[in-house]
Order: sequence, then structure tokens, then C-alpha cells
Amino acid sequence: MKKSLLAICSILFLTACQAEGETTDSNEANQNEMDEMILATTTSTYDSGLLDELVPQFEDEENVNVKIIAVGTGQALEMGERGEADSLLVHAPDAEKELVEGGSAINRQYVMYNDFVFLGPEEDPANVSDLDIAEGFQAIHEADVPFFSRGDDSGTHKKERSILEKADVETDFSNYEESGQGMGDTLRIAAERAGYILTDRGTYLSLEEQLETLDIVIEGDEVLENPYHVMQVNPDEFDMVNGEKGEAFVEFLLTEEIQDIIEVFGTEEYGEPLFFPVANE
Amino acid sequence: MTLLQLEAISYQKQNKMILQVDELSLKRGDHIGIIGPNGAGKSTLLNILAMLEPPTSGTITFDGMKINPNKIPISLRHRTASVFQHSQRFDMTVFQNVALGLKIKGIAKNEREQRVHEWLTRFRIDHLSNEHAYNLSGGEAQRMNLARAFALEPEALFMDEPFSALDAPTKASLMYELKSILRERDITAIFVSHDLLEIEAMSEKLAVIIDGRIIQKGNVRDVLNAPSDIAAPFLHAWNQLKQGLDPGVQ
Amino acid sequence: MELIVSGLSEAFRMIIELDRDIFDITWLTLRVCILATLISMIIGIPLGMLLALKHFIGRRFLIVLAQAGMGLPPVVAGLWVTIFLWRSGPLGSIQWLFTPTAIVIAQVVVSLPIIISLTYAALQRLDPQLKKQLKALGPTRLQYGWFLLREARFGIVAAVMAGLGRVLAEVGAAQMVGGNLLGDTRILTTAMVMEVSRGNFDVAFALSFILMTIAFLITFLLTYFQQRQVIR
Repeated sequence: MKKSLLAICSILFLTACQAEGETTDSNEANQNEMDEMILATTTSTYDSGLLDELVPQFEDEENVNVKIIAVGTGQALEMGERGEADSLLVHAPDAEKELVEGGSAINRQYVMYNDFVFLGPEEDPANVSDLDIAEGFQAIHEADVPFFSRGDDSGTHKKERSILEKADVETDFSNYEESGQGMGDTLRIAAERAGYILTDRGTYLSLEEQLETLDIVIEGDEVLENPYHVMQVNPDEFDMVNGEKGEAFVEFLLTEEIQDIIEVFGTEEYGEPLFFPVANE
Repeated sequence: MTLLQLEAISYQKQNKMILQVDELSLKRGDHIGIIGPNGAGKSTLLNILAMLEPPTSGTITFDGMKINPNKIPISLRHRTASVFQHSQRFDMTVFQNVALGLKIKGIAKNEREQRVHEWLTRFRIDHLSNEHAYNLSGGEAQRMNLARAFALEPEALFMDEPFSALDAPTKASLMYELKSILRERDITAIFVSHDLLEIEAMSEKLAVIIDGRIIQKGNVRDVLNAPSDIAAPFLHAWNQLKQGLDPGVQ
Repeated sequence: MELIVSGLSEAFRMIIELDRDIFDITWLTLRVCILATLISMIIGIPLGMLLALKHFIGRRFLIVLAQAGMGLPPVVAGLWVTIFLWRSGPLGSIQWLFTPTAIVIAQVVVSLPIIISLTYAALQRLDPQLKKQLKALGPTRLQYGWFLLREARFGIVAAVMAGLGRVLAEVGAAQMVGGNLLGDTRILTTAMVMEVSRGNFDVAFALSFILMTIAFLITFLLTYFQQRQVIR
């Protein structure tokens, strides 16, 4: 009885120790031979799968281990401001500019864009399909129909707020709801509850099959353009920031080869590209 | 030769005096009964004698050594053994229960096994050796506790109401066995009970404790024949009970 | 309904074919959770014993603290661990944020109070007379602790199960301090959250089955071990 207990315990312990040994080993290996770089980016970028395609190539070329932290744009920028990341790939131009002006980030470069689309129930109860986006938001406010916001300070949420501001619409109507969750989850909530929602096109395309009740009601408005910028966190501001690899990652995304990959990414699966590269134009 | 001596002992709990003993000494081989009504302080006295609870003040001497009651040397504990009212069963087999004290004492495996079987046999529960202790009846469990105590080959044995939870026939046979072992091994035994019949059967000496004080002590016969004023009402009640049960005496 | 069926079949396919990513995620989950529980045991059981057996100044406060800690929301623990491990934080220079070590730390933080409190409770429940009997046998401190622990083992195993359950179920802290990095810090719970948000319900299903199986197997083993001691 006691022996069996002892045996179980020691097996578990050895397994766990071995596990820990492995991780420490690989960590040491990382520190000795391989650099580490933290890339803070948005969930929408990460969920599209684009980075899964690009980052391994960068890791090989630069002999670096990239940790992709996928969070809301707000948090990604905050990580940059605190020096917790080495490079950022985000889509909130105004907030990005502030970060650069504040000196926390440098070398900000325009990489690619896609666009936001405005989705609504097939029946379009607020009749917004012929309107521009600002008018559309006003119509929804007046009709008081369900509208779902992520409310998480993400790039999409920031965009939504800037449109609301421009259209002079308050969010005090009773059917305005904030999910506090990521794009995919909020889209599913909107689909279940038949509401309107602003989303980036990439996430919509990747989830389209599961969003049968929603259609695009407004698209193509200039305001809905969604530019992505890459930047490195300023190594002069923070001791531990990896300036070398941060800079390398910015350069990497701007190379012709990578821009070409971005251009065709997603066409096979969705019939149209998810992002439009701009660096070589 | 004195084995255990208490001097000027007092024990307080929350500023209330529970026990006060001016002097009490036990000679080697003494079998002494401590009797008194419920709540008189018998168990407290036994715990202090067994060095399981430090007194508030006073000195304890064991075999000529003065004891610091807050720091009892382990070697001293290994010279004594205790048995309590509600038989204490550890969550293991009867054999392991009896062997526990020997294991703690560091007795080698061979000798351990031999001693455990000797005492299990002596108390007639050797056939239960592989049973789990939780499955024993009250009488069997108390036999197991006595076996555990005697297997330690103690110089002094402290017993706190060891038979009070048992039925009369079990009690009678166990008392008889216990008494013969005590005589044979020359073990100093301190025996707490509220039952004069048990005390008379088990001990030659007696201490009467009432309201936290030892009222009278001496040979059982002497005390019973000439009880002091305070002890008399308590002992008298017992005598009446005895006579009522046995009308042939007078 | 269709989703459930397709999800289930996909889940079984992935498990049977031993999908490489799923295997890695499962293996990491096991390693991290078991290590965290073991560390919590090694620290928590002696601390629980200390609280139950020793009287010292501040003991009551520590007991309240440990018991309040049982209700500590994992995300709160995650947040604190994150703040400490940030590059700008007090432990930033060791670079543990977004590593399995960070997850282990966060999980120890959430499971330690459970193991301390339940160990304490298990020892408190022991009959004081039994403790007196044991003390009378003249054990060393170590022997005293060991045999009391042995008496309380039913409750101790329950404490370990509760701690392990908490660690296996926990997602908020692991997400925050681990970052859900594939092949590095992605464990079953964080992977499930991510797959659901990506709409990959089939993968999420597969992961949920694995998680349930692990939780069930470990609990079964521990319960079996626990009951074998008790039922005669």
C-alpha cells in the first residue's frame, strides 16, 4: 500500500521533473543560441492564420524564437508603451501615432490593409443598406435595433467609436450592447441575436459559414479602410527590448517576397484575399 | 524506591484552579488507584503524571531526574505507556496498531514482530492480527490498546478509565488478565476510575481526589476503613452500593 | 445538431490519429498541471500541518488568509503573476513571462491555498485523544507529523484532488501569463477558448474530451487509492 503510493508519487515526480528539465534546457538553448522576440498583435490578425505562415520563415532566417501574443489592439499598444513587447502589428492609426510621438515605438511602417464591413440581419430591419456608414449608425440609433460592440478597446472597437463620434451618435440606446469579447465571439453573439455589428472582413470571411443569419449591409466606404502598421518598440527607452530583432521584423514584413505572400493569402480558402499589401506601391 | 514524584503541583485553566497537589509519590511496583467523582480532576492528574500535559507550576521527578514538563525527552516517554478510556485505534491493522509504539521506539523488525505476537496472544486477539482496527468490538479494541502498551515493556503504565466503556463480563475478564500481568511484570501502574469496585480489584494503594485536591491517600484497606470527613460521603455511597448488592456481608 | 455530430466525429478522428499539435498540447497540460500540483503539495501540506499542529502568533490570520485564498479568482492570480513577471516588473529580468514556468507559478498560486486549507481541515478533524495517544508513544517531531498525516490521508488525498482539479480547469491565469503560444505555452483550456473563438468547434470538442478524460482518470486513480485505504 505504502509502496504503491510511493511508486505513484515518484513516477509523477520524475515525469514532472523531466518535463521541467526539458523546458529549462530549451530555455537555456534559446538564450544561448537563439534570440527571443515578443510580437504583440491583434486577435483578428492572429486568428486569420497569416502570422502562422509568415513567422516561422522569419524565425528560420533570423534564428529567433518569436512569441506571438494575440490580444486586443488596446492591450498590444499598452504592451508596447511599457516595453513588454519588441514589435507590434496593429490597426489603430491614431493610437499608434500617439505611441510613436511618446517615444515608446519607432520605425512605424504601413504594411497592408483590409477593410471593415458592416453586417446586419438579412431582413435589414433598420434599412441601412443604401446608406453610408455614418448614416447607417444614425439609422440604427433611431430605429433602436440590436447593435453589438466588442467594447474591448480593440482596433475594431476604436474604429467603431470614431464612426459613432463622426455620426454624432450616442451609445445610450437600449439595444446597444458590449460583449467585452473578441471578434469571433462577438460575431456569433450578433448572429444568434440578429443584430448589427462592425467587423473586419478577414474574421467575417473565416467565420462566414457559421454566421448564416448575417449579411454585409454596408461596405466600401472610405471610412471603413483598415490599415495595419508594424513598428518596433524603442530599445533606447527600455533595457530589455530586443531592438535588433524588432527592427528585423519590420524590415521582414516589407520585403517583396513577404508582401507577395500577403497578397495571395486566403484566396485559396475564401476566394478572395484577406489583406492587401501596400509597402511596394 | 520512588519512581515518580509530584511536588507542589498546580494546574490552572483560564485562571481557574483545576488541580492542586502538595505531594504524591509512587514507588516502583506500586499499583495505585485514583478515585473521585466526575470533574474532580482525576484525568488532569493522570495527564500530568504521564507528562502529557505540563502543570502550571510545581516539580515532577521521574527516577531521580527532575523533569522540565515543557520539554519531555523522548527517551523518557519510551519508558512509560498510556491507555485511555475510549480505545484509540489508528487507521491500520491490529498488528500495525500494536507495532506502532515499537516502531516509533526504533525496535528492530524481528523483535517487533515477536513482541507484538506475544502480546496479541496474551490478550487473546492474535487471530485478529490482520483485521483493520476499525472492525474491532469495544472489548477487542481495548485489548489491542493494552497489548500496545505492554509491548513497549514500560516501567510505568498510566490508565485513564480503561474499562468504563466495556460491558461487565468483558470488563471482569480483562481486569483479571491485567492484574496478573501487572503482578508478574512488576510494572508501576496508575489507574484512574470513578468506580471503587475496579480500584479495589486493581490496586493496593488509593488516592481520593475531590474538587482538585487529594483528600486522602494510603493503602486501599486503610483508607476504606477510616475515611476522612470529606472523603467519607463519596466512599460511603460505594460501600452502601456494595452491601446492597451482597446482602450476605452483614 | 449537425455541428455536434461532425464535431464529435472530428474529435475522435483527431484523437485516434494522434494529431501532433493536440498531443503536444495534452502533454504540456499534463506536465504543467502535475508539476504545479506537486509543488503545491510540497509547500502546502507542511504549511497546513504547521497551521493545524503549532500554535504561534499570527496563526489565525494565516488560516483566514489561506481559506480566503481558496476563492481567489484565477484571473486575479494571473494578473498579479503577470505584473511581477513583466520586463518592467520586479522579476522581469528572469524572463519567465510567456513560458510554461509562468503557468506553473500562476497555478501554484491558485492551488496552494486549497491544499493548505484542506490539509489543515483534515488534520483538525482528527480526534484530539488520538493525538494524545500518539504523543504518549514518544515520537520524534517527524514521526508525530508523519503518523498524523497518515491518519488524515483520506482528507489529504481529497485536498490534492481539489488542487489538481482547480489547476486542470483553470484558464484565465494560464492565458494571461502563458500567452497561449503554440508548442510552448498552449494548454488544453486556453486552446479550447481559442478554437471556440475561431469557430473551430470540432477541435474544441476534441480538446474537451481529452481534458475530461484526463480529469476523470486522475480523479479515478486518486479516489481508488483513497477508498482502498478506507473500505475494509
